[in-house]
Amino acid sequence: MGSLSGVLPLPFGSKVAQKTRVDYQNTTEGALVQRAQAGDEAAFREIVDRYQNKVFSIIHGIVRQRNDVEDIAQQVFAKVYLSLKSFDFRSSLITWIYKITVNECFDYLRKRKVRKLVYESDMSEDEVRRVENSEPSVARQAPMDDTLARRDYVVKLLTRVSEEERTLLMMKEVEGFSVEELAEKTGMNENTIKVKLFRARQKLVKAAQRLDRTPGLVTG
Amino acid sequence: MHAVVMESFEEYLSGTLKPEALRDIEAHLSSCEACREEVAGMQEVSALFREFTPQEAIEPTPGFYNRVVRQVGGRKAAPAFASLFSLDLAFGRRVVFASLLVLAALGGYLVSRESEFPGGPSPELVMAQQDSPSFEAAPAHEAMLATMTTYEP
Repeated sequence: MGSLSGVLPLPFGSKVAQKTRVDYQNTTEGALVQRAQAGDEAAFREIVDRYQNKVFSIIHGIVRQRNDVEDIAQQVFAKVYLSLKSFDFRSSLITWIYKITVNECFDYLRKRKVRKLVYESDMSEDEVRRVENSEPSVARQAPMDDTLARRDYVVKLLTRVSEEERTLLMMKEVEGFSVEELAEKTGMNENTIKVKLFRARQKLVKAAQRLDRTPGLVTG
Repeated sequence: MHAVVMESFEEYLSGTLKPEALRDIEAHLSSCEACREEVAGMQEVSALFREFTPQEAIEPTPGFYNRVVRQVGGRKAAPAFASLFSLDLAFGRRVVFASLLVLAALGGYLVSRESEFPGGPSPELVMAQQDSPSFEAAPAHEAMLATMTTYEP
């Protein structure tokens, strides 16, 4: 995004004090990343040790499948290792890892849905009916199913925004970062963060309205 | 949405707005139905994110790092097709430069070969001549006339 005024005629930021960007390359963490980028295995191990609990927590919050959390976390750190050389210090390392983690979770949820569809398409109508009867349907939701249906609904909404918007929304809403903290972590200025969040929220509201108009989509 | 709401919307949503700014927004919302509806929609969507709040802490099992390393090793051993094209930038530049040189040399050679064949009759003309009934007969006919005019008994 170039100039904010050119993008949206929003009154954002007239009162917002602009802070100096953090130079992530010249921090202790920056030095650690540079060592890992140079191929120092011990430095990479330190990165994994430092952030593995956080990554596990993010993944469990999104997918809620205890058994799959570790597999996804492995994928996340493998990606971190393989693309660490492209990390350019524009944001903090945890912001970058957070983005990879959220993307990996949504990828997992998308694949799980495709697998479910393929599995169901291979079954005869009678088999589908039998499975539907053996699993509690969304129409007569027990409290746990209600939670799952709500989760599916939010996941579906979040696929309607860009990866960047999704990461910003998750960091703001789930991690509870303020706009100022988000600006510091992402290397963007506060006005940009506000505009991006506002646009993302508008998209979510529109997507929710569309989904609500198509009841089958809400639970499917 | 009007400026008064939009300006401090994130702080309003997260409940961290200063009292005077909050009063301004609430005063506006009480009189502006459009803003009230939009804010309500965004608050509803914002509340949905509670679904992602981690309920319990899950810790990695022992040996997690080694499994990550194994996975990395597996991925390195089987490079993706796309990675064949991810050349080092400097090397890539050299390859492009060399390709351009070869193309230029080849082009020059073709142009020089082309000029060795000066333009003769067009293919259409040659075909028209071949189709003409007098094409082969003409020289013999003219030769006979020449012989008859120069004939001296």
